[in-house]
Amino acid sequence: MTEPKTRTRKRTGLLALLAVIGPGIIAASAGNDSGGISTYSVAGAKYGYTMLWMMLAMTPSFAIVQEMAGRMGAVTGKGFSALIRERFGVRPTFFAMLMLLASNAATTIAEFAGIAAAMQLFGVSKYISVPIAAVVVWLLVVRGSYRNVEKVLLALSSVFIAYVIAAFLAKPDLGTVATAFVVPRIVPTQAFIALAIGLTGTTIAPWMQFLVQSNIVDKGTTVKEWALARWDVIVGAIAANVIACFIIITTATVLHPAGIEVTGAGEAARALAPLAGHYAEALFAIGLLSASVLAAAVLPLTASYAICEAFGWESGLDRSWSEAPLFNGLYTFVILTGAAVILLPGLSLIGIMLVSQVVNGMLLPFLLIFMMIIINDRKIMGRHVNGRVNNLFAWTTIVVVITLTVLLLGMTLFGIG
Amino acid sequence: MFYLTRMLGRPVVDAAGETIGAISDVAIATREVFPRVTSLAFLGPEKTPFMLSWRKFVEAIDDDQIILNVTRDALRFSYLQPDEILLARDLLNQQIVDTQGMKVVRVNDLKLSESRHQLRLLGAEVGIRGILRGLHPALERTAERIMKLFGGTLAEDIIAWNYMDLLDRDLSHVQLSVTHKRLHELHPADIADVLEQLSPAQRAKVFEHLDNSQAADTISELEDAFQADVIDDLGSQRASDILEIMDPDDAADIIGDLPYDKAEALLRLMGVEESSAVRGLLGYREKTAGGIMTPEVTTVTEEMTVQQVIDHLRGEAAENESIYYIYVTDETDHLEGVISLRDLVVSDPETLIADIVTKEVITAYVEDDQEDVAETMSKYDLLAMPVVDETNKLLGIVTVDDALDVLEEESAEDLELATGQRARTGITGIWRWVSRNGWLVVWGALFLLAAMLPVPGVALLVLFATIILRIAEDVASHALSRVIETEDEDERTPLWRRFASDAVSGTALGVLVGLVAGAVTWLVQEPSGVLDEALRIELAILVGLVYALAVLAVSLAGTLIARVAEGVASRGRRVSGTAITVVLMLIGMLVFGGLALGAWRLLAAQGLTGM
Repeated sequence: MTEPKTRTRKRTGLLALLAVIGPGIIAASAGNDSGGISTYSVAGAKYGYTMLWMMLAMTPSFAIVQEMAGRMGAVTGKGFSALIRERFGVRPTFFAMLMLLASNAATTIAEFAGIAAAMQLFGVSKYISVPIAAVVVWLLVVRGSYRNVEKVLLALSSVFIAYVIAAFLAKPDLGTVATAFVVPRIVPTQAFIALAIGLTGTTIAPWMQFLVQSNIVDKGTTVKEWALARWDVIVGAIAANVIACFIIITTATVLHPAGIEVTGAGEAARALAPLAGHYAEALFAIGLLSASVLAAAVLPLTASYAICEAFGWESGLDRSWSEAPLFNGLYTFVILTGAAVILLPGLSLIGIMLVSQVVNGMLLPFLLIFMMIIINDRKIMGRHVNGRVNNLFAWTTIVVVITLTVLLLGMTLFGIG
Repeated sequence: MFYLTRMLGRPVVDAAGETIGAISDVAIATREVFPRVTSLAFLGPEKTPFMLSWRKFVEAIDDDQIILNVTRDALRFSYLQPDEILLARDLLNQQIVDTQGMKVVRVNDLKLSESRHQLRLLGAEVGIRGILRGLHPALERTAERIMKLFGGTLAEDIIAWNYMDLLDRDLSHVQLSVTHKRLHELHPADIADVLEQLSPAQRAKVFEHLDNSQAADTISELEDAFQADVIDDLGSQRASDILEIMDPDDAADIIGDLPYDKAEALLRLMGVEESSAVRGLLGYREKTAGGIMTPEVTTVTEEMTVQQVIDHLRGEAAENESIYYIYVTDETDHLEGVISLRDLVVSDPETLIADIVTKEVITAYVEDDQEDVAETMSKYDLLAMPVVDETNKLLGIVTVDDALDVLEEESAEDLELATGQRARTGITGIWRWVSRNGWLVVWGALFLLAAMLPVPGVALLVLFATIILRIAEDVASHALSRVIETEDEDERTPLWRRFASDAVSGTALGVLVGLVAGAVTWLVQEPSGVLDEALRIELAILVGLVYALAVLAVSLAGTLIARVAEGVASRGRRVSGTAITVVLMLIGMLVFGGLALGAWRLLAAQGLTGM
């Protein structure tokens, strides 16, 4: 059989580079959802540049983990949850899916917190914005129309690239920033450790690995095509972290010296003041709103698809409630829970966003362990098993995050820090 | 009854009562309907895998262990035969195709039963019960008890071996019983149903097992959305071979959906005849007779005899999609008449075609709307309908299968238009309620928004606008039914006439609503006694006018929107019923708000707003 002739005519040079980097950057800026924005903002405002070195250390891990997920998809043509099920059986799968559901639900709650916070900047009470948003998100999902609005929302949420400019306009001391990137510093308090876990959880979010893999599978990317497609994933991962770093730098330069702690979206938005002046709040709110709505539609669906794939339940948006009750029930449940939690009175929205990322961070190593066992199994991956560098980075991430979690639990238990 | 998940890990005990390992898998003979277990795989000390013959060495099996009939040193180990299937490795937790239910499912457990020293596979458990058992047997029992409390049972969902096809392991080299149904043996329409549930990689694997003509039939049966993807994923050579076999109209549909480069490459690889047929079809607009016709027509001339025509049918025309009608043309392909297969068969072989030909042929013009073509075919019960150009030259025929597809597609579109709901997505209770009571939802949203605005009067205004929104919704549904009708009829009343008739009915309704609103205002004002009689009447008239004009405006806007929507629909684009409704409601709201503001200003000018 001859290979398609059209595929061999590859685009070359700058165009090819842009074609690879473009979607990556856009996808990455959307990956910085409400949980991400708030965690990075809090990190910068509270600890200044202190946490930047973690971002540098995490970037290769993140790129590697994303590459691993994509590679599993390209080699096996199956989703992550299907591989977990086929490699480990029902019981471990059940716990893995429980973790995925928890991670997804927590993040969806954070997205609704993001929607509520963004709308509050426009003066709309959460008791109005959240129920409307829940219905809108649910309809976007049910009618499958989120694919139509996806591009608009992605474009809108890319206003967060504004942080790159804002960071320079804020005139940070470049020497200090550079030092912060390379010199590890730790503040031995519970808050700092928790934030570090949250930073990991939001950067290398568990659900993102499921999403990357299922995207690769749905596109029908083959092992041969993966050679090129992997760069999309890697560049996207790096771009996401670059933007995250700029968020930290901006908030650290603008908010930290002024002693402003991020307790609401309003403070977080003020970091963009050097760029947008009076319009900082509106800019921030638009970005936060679109990123949150998009993620709130994608997240429950990701969970629903993954869980149904693991247990062999019928799935697909073209299936009715009677054909695929569990599939439809799952994403509806996640959306409703997400919205319902935010409606509880007296909640700190920023607090919710942070906690959800800490939950993500704590669950991450366990899902990574599943991933590591599968990707090093020659029966599944053939010669595409992990190399040494990949294994080193991934295991280090696992060990570090577990250590941090144990540390945090220990400190909480014994009342240290 | 044994379940594989419960057997795995149980000890293997030799004749001396010594444990020599733990069960890791069992293999089956594939040829039977209820396959016999042939080998036992177990892990010995230090996880060394062993395999031995079930028939020779297994003495007994119970819930706790497997007992062998010899001691450890008398065991002869065997190897896995290429045609053996391992239950845990190849089936448990894997996706399989249920070729009876035409579904892709995941195996949660395997059910075995023992009879006369033989363990046989009853089938794969694919239901929730297997999952519960896999989690913990106690869970299964609890669930069963709960179900019993409610008078139900926790049914097992078992698929027998001969209705299983595996996706990851190729069964082609394994001996199967004649009754064993594999995926590629199903009807192409059923294969297509299953393929739609698979991932691209799995689909590619299935296509490896289909021969080209099966593949062509299957692809024709796939939903449109999948067709281009599947062809795109196949290698170019195979794809072009398959497209050659397909009916040219189906092939043209698929090629039309492919990216230009790929389409060109495939057309170049196809045979000259086939590719020129497809290229010809690609020139016709979608959703017209030309877009759905096939150029494969059986044509004869008047001078031929019945016998000659039959020979022609047996020979070169045998491959044609439809041969129930044979068309009679002159030398330059102009359509002159039609004969049916029946006419041929009942006539004497020597009869001239000119003697039996029917000259009145029901034809479609190449630019005719596909829905009209399908309806004509259904009206006259035709199996095929010839398509001609303006000079009556025969271009092709529309066959009944394509006409049926058109009718199905169009009725789904009409339904969608009328209900604002895509037919394929599940119509759920809430959504149905929302789309039927759109005005209430818009009203609620507007009211909430208005309530938050710092200006106090706005919420009140929305409250008063309720009736306008309700009327706007009626106008919208009226406009919508008009769009659906004209799509069918394709005859339009001139705009001014519609405008006039709508203006009359709009005015009537407006006056009615205005009178009621005015009357209510007048009555409500009475007890306060702040206003003198003249002003009271003026206020009532003003309110009545605001309502009447708003209603009239909404009706006329409805006329215009219906016309715009017809234009959109006639160009073959989708019209959203929900969008029409929402736009009309907003127009109604704006007009009402504007008029109300005007009235307020007028009253303010007279110093009356201070009350």
